Amino acid sequence: MLVNSVIIVLREVLEAALMISMLLVVSRPLEIRPRWLTTGLAIGLLGASIYGHFLDPISSLFDGAGQELLNAMLHLGLFATLTLSVFLIARQGNQPCKNDSLLPKVMATAIALAVTREGSEIMIFVAGFLPLDNFMSSVGLGSIAGAAIGCSVGVLFFYLLLAMPARRALRIALALLALAAAGMSAQAIQQLIQADWLSVAGAAWDTTRFVAEDSLPGQLLYALVGYEASPSPIEAVIYLASIVLMALSIVLGSKVFRLESSAPR
Amino acid sequence: MPCYRPLYRLWRIAAAVLMLATAAYAATPEYEIEIRNHLFEPDVLEIPANTTIKLIVYHRDPTHDGSGSFELNREKDIMGNSKAIIFIGPLPPGEYPFFGEFNPTTALGKIVVKGDDHAG
Repeated sequence: MLVNSVIIVLREVLEAALMISMLLVVSRPLEIRPRWLTTGLAIGLLGASIYGHFLDPISSLFDGAGQELLNAMLHLGLFATLTLSVFLIARQGNQPCKNDSLLPKVMATAIALAVTREGSEIMIFVAGFLPLDNFMSSVGLGSIAGAAIGCSVGVLFFYLLLAMPARRALRIALALLALAAAGMSAQAIQQLIQADWLSVAGAAWDTTRFVAEDSLPGQLLYALVGYEASPSPIEAVIYLASIVLMALSIVLGSKVFRLESSAPR
Repeated sequence: MPCYRPLYRLWRIAAAVLMLATAAYAATPEYEIEIRNHLFEPDVLEIPANTTIKLIVYHRDPTHDGSGSFELNREKDIMGNSKAIIFIGPLPPGEYPFFGEFNPTTALGKIVVKGDDHAG
């Protein structure tokens, strides 16, 4: 049980930690006070508690598809807020950003949504084992270890990007953020398929032979870019379309910035 | 009365659509499995190929669990002493393992999809 809890909690924490690192890196040149992060985390933890607590009534909504629909909405919201963040960051260029502008709010919303989604799974998992006598020796300890490892990897990833030349770090973080956001919209589609709101037959391809989803690299890739070994065709299309949308918002954002800065005062 | 006729026709179309929808809904075969003492019962489930099925998972343990499968691309949290509904398929014939997410070493099962690959 100890190892299981480490893995379960690590998987959820890792996804949120990597996203926070990427947002911190891309917003670094803009000199925003990190209040958006603490606000987002606090709201997310609250959201996760509420979601975890009301999982049963939520699940039975919409003929038993409530959980899937809420998850799909959280994922779509994440995609939207991440895309908007990237657009606003690109528009800003290297100009410092005002602390009361839209960008910190959008990033805080993204963090809140991510923490709600990932945190609720941890809450449900931990709450289920809370009545056990040996809770602290197995599940509790494992969860703490998993959370610690997840946060450490996030911090490590942040400093790894910081160690690079600023321009390259920004490009890599933006590209990874685009992939992560695309993974979110693919996961939303996945949830709609599970709820039978979308019907699909078969997988577009199967890369399990190269990278299995339950392997360590598979889990890491899943946390980082939403890797799926055997996606359905619609998931693949949505994933690619999301990347295109993200690339467009980066290009459009920086174009607006250039026009504004070249215009006479 | 003639002026009611279009309304009546609309009503008939609506009724027909409703009946078709119910028929399609009823045509989704239902299967049930149980989680008891962190084990699936039955642990092997046979379903027809190329058909969407509705799987109802009854969870009889007081602790929470999740039901997931990498091969099926499914993942769902289930509270203690409750049930969950998961739609699966349409799938080509083959074996698709699934597991209880919070007890992945003990709660193991598989779905065996049987039938003609070309059917449907």
